[in-house]
Amino acid sequence: MSRKPDLLAQQPSRSKLTRRDFLTRYAGAGALAVAGGAALPRELWAQAGAPAAVDPAGTVANSAVMAAKVPDMKLHSERPLTASVPAELHNFDVTPSDRMFVRNNLLTPDLDAGKLRLTVKGLVDRELTFTLDELRKSFQVVTTQAMVECAGSGRMAFTPRPSGTPWLVTGGMGCPKWSGVRLRDVLRAAGVKSNAVHVSGQGGDFGVIPTAAPVIRSIPLSKAMEEHTLIVFGMNGEPLPKVHGYPLRLIVPGWVGSASTKWLHTLTVLDAPFKGTYMESSYRIPKYAVQPGAKMPPDAVITEAWPVKSMITYPAPDAVFKLGRPMLVQGRAWVGEGAIDKVELSFNEGVNWQRAMINSGGDKYAWRIFSVEYVPKSPGYTTVLARATDDRGGVQPIVSEWNPLGYFWNGLHRVGFMVEA
Amino acid sequence: MQVGSSRKAAAIAASLLLLASGAAIAPLAAQESVAAQRTLTPGKGADLTMARCSICHDITHVTRTRLSRGEWEYNVKNMIERGMPIAPGEIPVVVDYLAAYYNRDTAAPPPDPAAGAVVAGEDPVQRLLLNHACTACHATEQKIVGPSFTEVATRYAGDGAAAAKLAAKIKSGGAGTWGAVPMPPNPGLSDAELQQMVGWILSRK
Repeated sequence: MSRKPDLLAQQPSRSKLTRRDFLTRYAGAGALAVAGGAALPRELWAQAGAPAAVDPAGTVANSAVMAAKVPDMKLHSERPLTASVPAELHNFDVTPSDRMFVRNNLLTPDLDAGKLRLTVKGLVDRELTFTLDELRKSFQVVTTQAMVECAGSGRMAFTPRPSGTPWLVTGGMGCPKWSGVRLRDVLRAAGVKSNAVHVSGQGGDFGVIPTAAPVIRSIPLSKAMEEHTLIVFGMNGEPLPKVHGYPLRLIVPGWVGSASTKWLHTLTVLDAPFKGTYMESSYRIPKYAVQPGAKMPPDAVITEAWPVKSMITYPAPDAVFKLGRPMLVQGRAWVGEGAIDKVELSFNEGVNWQRAMINSGGDKYAWRIFSVEYVPKSPGYTTVLARATDDRGGVQPIVSEWNPLGYFWNGLHRVGFMVEA
Repeated sequence: MQVGSSRKAAAIAASLLLLASGAAIAPLAAQESVAAQRTLTPGKGADLTMARCSICHDITHVTRTRLSRGEWEYNVKNMIERGMPIAPGEIPVVVDYLAAYYNRDTAAPPPDPAAGAVVAGEDPVQRLLLNHACTACHATEQKIVGPSFTEVATRYAGDGAAAAKLAAKIKSGGAGTWGAVPMPPNPGLSDAELQQMVGWILSRK
């Protein structure tokens, strides 16, 4: 499997950077790439002495981000940077940082923690500003393991394929341990006014052009005041990696990842949901299911908590096992709000189902680990399907309702493996 | 059976097939060559679409995607909200191009390299700007990555040596006079082309 496009594999050097590389990295290929144009410039532009191209000032190069990830991480796009690992590489209790998915809307900003100021404003009694140190010292620091999953995670499973990042059927999610302070403690310190309804987060990421709209999302006050909604500076016991929001981000556990604003610098308490493109045109689903291939209807609603979902993390697809030798099928199940009630597995395409063991305990928004001991009784290609049910009546469907932007795929995950006699 | 339910049924059937093919599903993009993913099919509006869309994102977001016309319209509207610099008259050109060549419901027309420069038309300066990818970073009125041509003209107003300075800068590249991103050189431009281009830019004030 080719995991990294050529641009990352061969970083342009001072003497080899072509005009095309330059444009691809900074402004797109422009008219260059239109095939058939005889006048297309193909010359090398950076000869000795010419200025070496650098990534836009104040950003982290994609190559630096990917160098900190496992080699198996699949890059989905370079601009904006998106990457993930599939289910079989998620067989960990806690998602290691080098396996956490990457989803930027703009560039990866290279921020200075010493210069960070978090401002709380809007419908508050007192506008407050904190340095990172002040935030740590003023509020109780907590750690919780919690799911973050991109709204489009699993998009490739929809038919027909909607637009957007081609997330694999599994993998646009992770469940690391997050350390920070509770958003509610900070909001209470500022004093939330009685007409407050939503809280928006704004981060310090920016695009290649000044007209790029800032990525601003808002969440209902009830979720903002939930004790697991955090302002986070740590991930798995380390400072946040730059691509995951260093030095500060929101974690809105269980909800679509875009709610968990990275590179957070401003919180605004609002009397209505924030009005902006990332609230009003993106991250929306039709209120009622539409015909596959239809465009977004006017009565769309914002995406919030993920529906119940599961994935099989062991075995890997096409693994080979011996007849009669027991194996432990394992996976992860989660739901945006609520709790996992049961997980069932089927080894015969959904004809019969058996309950899996689920680990108990764990943090409220962490995934649950499930397992079933399986003894292959006949040789040949065998499949396993997983189906999770939550405590609010939610059950994974075979196939999720199609929607124009391809959000909330939670259809059944299926893995096939070989049994040898 | 109604059209809607049969389409939905087809979608479900296709998804089940997809399930049946195993969990590791090769992305559509993986089946196409990298080169094909990084270029748009030549046709009316292709150059403008490339120039506008690829300022902010990989053009692979387009080339690996097939959408209905309505979805493309929604997408372009969405991108304009996100800050895509585009003149009102250019919007239908981009939508028509995407809906023609990257449509899920209809077959793409044959590639048409001759129709590439729809906006530039026969204007020689516009063709130069487009063919040398100047318009990926510069617009006439609006700052994109680099300054607008009007800003450039205003800065050099009254400078007798402006034409020579600008020509040299276009040919050899700049080190980021206007911002953090340096301008790549264009050694392939002839002196006559440079003169034509510079004359036009300096008359924008």
